[in-house]
Amino acid sequence: MDLILEYQGQLLSGTWVTIKLALLSLLIAVLFGLLGAWAKLSKNFVAQKLATAYTAIVRGVPDLVLILLVFYGGQELANSIGTLTGLWDYAEISQFAAGVGTIGVVFGGYMTETFRGAILAIPKGQIEAGVACGMSRTTIFRRVIWPQMVVYALPGFSNNWLVQIKSTALVSVIGLQDVVYNGFVAGRSTRQLFTFMFAVLMIYLVLTAISDSGLRWLDKKYSKGIVRTDDG
Amino acid sequence: MSEPSGDHAALEVVDLHKSFGDVEVIRGVSMRAHKGDVISILGASGSGKSTFLRCINLLETPTSGDVLVAGEKIRMMTSSRGIYKPEDIHQVERLRARLGMVFQSFNLWSHMTVIENVIEAPVHVLKIPKAEAIEQAEALLQKVGIFERKDYYPAQLSGGQQQRVAIARGLAMNPEVMLFDEPTSALDPELVGEVLKVMRDLADEGRTMLVVTHEMGFARDVSSDVVFLHEGKVEEQGAPQQMFSNPNSDRFRQFLSRTMQ
Repeated sequence: MDLILEYQGQLLSGTWVTIKLALLSLLIAVLFGLLGAWAKLSKNFVAQKLATAYTAIVRGVPDLVLILLVFYGGQELANSIGTLTGLWDYAEISQFAAGVGTIGVVFGGYMTETFRGAILAIPKGQIEAGVACGMSRTTIFRRVIWPQMVVYALPGFSNNWLVQIKSTALVSVIGLQDVVYNGFVAGRSTRQLFTFMFAVLMIYLVLTAISDSGLRWLDKKYSKGIVRTDDG
Repeated sequence: MSEPSGDHAALEVVDLHKSFGDVEVIRGVSMRAHKGDVISILGASGSGKSTFLRCINLLETPTSGDVLVAGEKIRMMTSSRGIYKPEDIHQVERLRARLGMVFQSFNLWSHMTVIENVIEAPVHVLKIPKAEAIEQAEALLQKVGIFERKDYYPAQLSGGQQQRVAIARGLAMNPEVMLFDEPTSALDPELVGEVLKVMRDLADEGRTMLVVTHEMGFARDVSSDVVFLHEGKVEEQGAPQQMFSNPNSDRFRQFLSRTMQ
């Protein structure tokens, strides 16, 4: 316990990095998810194909491979573009940006499928009723689709989010000092790996427990009137 | 379809056609509803009667033809790819707001209570102050006999109750014309009566209504005009007394004998 208190600064700063990483990448994932779901459901052929390719690629490749590819490959690509065009000598992709971007884009693929399913779960007649009342497309989205989509998407969304928090641990391989990286370093230098990794485990459990109650609050707030039974 | 008294018809449809792919479902239907008219649209399934109704507020885009709401024509254009479509979606939205629609499957918004369903479009489309919309909605819910359930969610109501809420939702827009798309077809037999009674009351107070229905009693006793569609065309139309007692066309006679046993 004393040891952990001694290193609490590192652990806390690592936890903070993990939280920032998770929340920012969630924001990207939700944006990509909404965009992807919209594209997949649109009548535009090009948008549909692009979205299908996107989800196929990001869901078909290990996150770790993509993170390494973006961080190292992206670095090289940026530098060769710089050399080729003569616009810059040396560019550096920050570990944080690479981590947030990659995890956000990968989970955007999962969110795309979750949101698409949720939108399809809304009875089409309810959207038609909005159209028939003279609602604009944005009003229909805001007043009819969104509030119901949230309810239908929540179970899948919760799942994605929990996996996503845990996936942030992968960024330690590119040297980003998240809670896993800092815990591991502290554990190695004190030769108390078990103690520190156990502390890291507890920190993740606290984070996921907090998310869980937040998600349950959302579910309560939005699920009024929506009956989840076979005959509903 | 009485003669115009100088004013515009509440609703006019001119030579409407609609195809799905190669199949022409509506083959040139015209119709005119003056204020207070109650027009029942009859026809076997597949005659195109629902499609016709859905073309009026452009839930389906017609292949050609015109729709005029209170004399204002919905402006249509042919795109560069040869697709017939509205010129200005804002005009369409504005005119849709003047046509109330009641669907076979009610289509209430399930995340909103009864009263929220009724005030939704007045507040968010017509931009009426919420307090005023609530006052109006409560009066309408009284009228359709469901005021006591105003804070229920649709899933907690019977089909007949849901349909009466849907009618109140349509009326809340104070529409020029109410369109009914088989409003009783999805109901259990014992619930049909309560919905028909509300519709009768609306007819009595002079509402302009277009009703696609299988309810022969309603068509005969309540409507001012009856239109019989067959294979996407008007086969026969006229006053109900005359059409029901003395049908001109064989097809309508057969239709009657099949449905009136």
